[in-house]
Amino acid sequence: MFLFRLALKNLLRSKRRTLLASAAVVVGIFYLVVGQAFIGGFEESIIRGATDATLGHVALQPKDYPDEPLTFPLDELLAPDEATLSWLNEQKAWTSRLNFQVTLVHEGESLRAQGIAFDPATDSKVFSRATWTSDGEEPKTAADGIFVGHMLAKNLELEKGQSVVLQVRTEAGAINAMPVPVAGILSSGNPMLDAMAIFLTKDLAKELVRTEGVNAINVLLSDRDDVDEAVAELAPIAETAGMDIITWVEETAELLALQQLRRTMLNVLVGMLLLMSSMAIANTILMAAHERVREIGTLRAMGLSRRGVLGLFLAEGSLMGAVAGLAGAAPGAFIAWKYSIEPIDFGKLMEDQAQAGAAISFSSFVYTEFSVPIVVVPLVISFFVALVASIYPAITASAMEPADAVRAE
Amino acid sequence: MPICEVKNVTKTYGEGVAQVHAVNDVSLVIDNGEFTAFVGPSGSGKTTLLNQIGCLDRPTGGQVLIDGVSTDNLGDKALSVLRADKIGFIFQSFNLIPVLTALENVELALQLSGTGGGREKAAKLLADVGLAGMEDRRPNQLSGGQQQRVAVARALVKEPSLIIADEPTANLDSESGENALQLMKDLNERLGVTFLFSTHDQLVMDHAKRIVVLKDGKVVEDKVGAGAATGAV
Repeated sequence: MFLFRLALKNLLRSKRRTLLASAAVVVGIFYLVVGQAFIGGFEESIIRGATDATLGHVALQPKDYPDEPLTFPLDELLAPDEATLSWLNEQKAWTSRLNFQVTLVHEGESLRAQGIAFDPATDSKVFSRATWTSDGEEPKTAADGIFVGHMLAKNLELEKGQSVVLQVRTEAGAINAMPVPVAGILSSGNPMLDAMAIFLTKDLAKELVRTEGVNAINVLLSDRDDVDEAVAELAPIAETAGMDIITWVEETAELLALQQLRRTMLNVLVGMLLLMSSMAIANTILMAAHERVREIGTLRAMGLSRRGVLGLFLAEGSLMGAVAGLAGAAPGAFIAWKYSIEPIDFGKLMEDQAQAGAAISFSSFVYTEFSVPIVVVPLVISFFVALVASIYPAITASAMEPADAVRAE
Repeated sequence: MPICEVKNVTKTYGEGVAQVHAVNDVSLVIDNGEFTAFVGPSGSGKTTLLNQIGCLDRPTGGQVLIDGVSTDNLGDKALSVLRADKIGFIFQSFNLIPVLTALENVELALQLSGTGGGREKAAKLLADVGLAGMEDRRPNQLSGGQQQRVAVARALVKEPSLIIADEPTANLDSESGENALQLMKDLNERLGVTFLFSTHDQLVMDHAKRIVVLKDGKVVEDKVGAGAATGAV
């Protein structure tokens, strides 16, 4: 214990030098904690963008259904058989939707959009409304009209209570158009939906598209990580019924791979910072060893063994790493915690891309990931980086001959 | 029983024509309670011999026994334990740890030797050497004489068998030197602690009960008793 106290006092004798050597560790660990928290948060928002807004955990769709934006052919709709319905009813929740292409016409302006016809009784059990805010009420019946994404509404200068003409091709291929009231303007927290989608009940869709069919069945599992087991059960049923299965894992794979790349880049950057800081720490401890030769000799004369001197200098280095790690991790942890309970809305930043037609289907409300490993792992890393950096200086100090060291100038 | 036996100790540096015998076949017996000064000109081997006796260095040849234990085959850990338990050091430059207070410097010796007593014992020793009330001062807040008193307390606190003092008065003015020496002599007489000095200081020689004169690494004179200093180098 006294060695630890002595190590602490030794570090404080050259505060400025200790501070400078620790600075890179502080910055590196701060970046690591905040970076991992945000990357983790973005990953979660990508996943939630799929699970909460467009897909659920598992979805069924017609075989070989195209995945281009705003392309929703109605020539092949789903016809779930008994086996499919039986499986669906065993799951936590499920709903079905009809996605179709629609053109909104308002005061001489027209815009293409995605119509999403939903079942008011079951849709919210699968698709969370937690991030939804709206001016107006979500439609419950055909008479209520439609919910319009706020960016789409802005482009058409549409407001709640106004009427808009919806123009579609029916299931049979005929052109149909009808005026509907705007029940509300929706901010869903998903830029793709806000820029391109209208929501309406299936009853209204039946009048408009002239079909009761659906082209998406969306399922919520008890645990989203059970997706492989669900697919294993569902695959033969879906094959028989002529349906394709999509999971949130496949749907988010590309974006998550990009996030993984970012994570790797962050780790490389932080690794370089820590490498630099390890050199600074090694240099600082080595300088301390050379400046304190007589003290080392005195401690040796008083009975401190070589191993004791080694321990003293390793303690100084690792203490420096631990304190610097704490100094970087503490504000990082605070930021990670703060935005894990109150999300940052990146919606404004994503508006331009969403309006340009980019299929950005992830929640613009980003909650950072805040967990024990996010804070503790960087702390352990900083401790060990400093410990390893101190090994050479500590060996140098412990190898000094006491008879020479004790009389050094 | 002698506290220290030096048997035919040699310490050689360099090789071939550059070889130097800093200590050359020296044999000595130091008994308990001695107050002995090693004297001689610079380069005579005083400090080198003290290094061998203090187990700070290993002799090239010969044998050093402390309390009857041969130090020949002891490893670093065992030698460290021996130094921590049995030998106290007082240095010319005091060698206090600058980041520690006077009290902590003395306490450090107890921590390293594993001797009990802790803070109270260290404080009592500081009071004994006349530094009561200065426990919390750092070395740079003490005069040279006061620092040397802390060093004496530090050497003494673990109750060693032997205290080795290398030129203990060399960096002190005459009054501080006299005081420090008087303190050590008092401890020697009162507690029977064995002191070994290397010195050029006539004052130390005047107080020594035994003077060992070294020249070119050899003992050339070994005088015991009152008036030992007469004719010393």
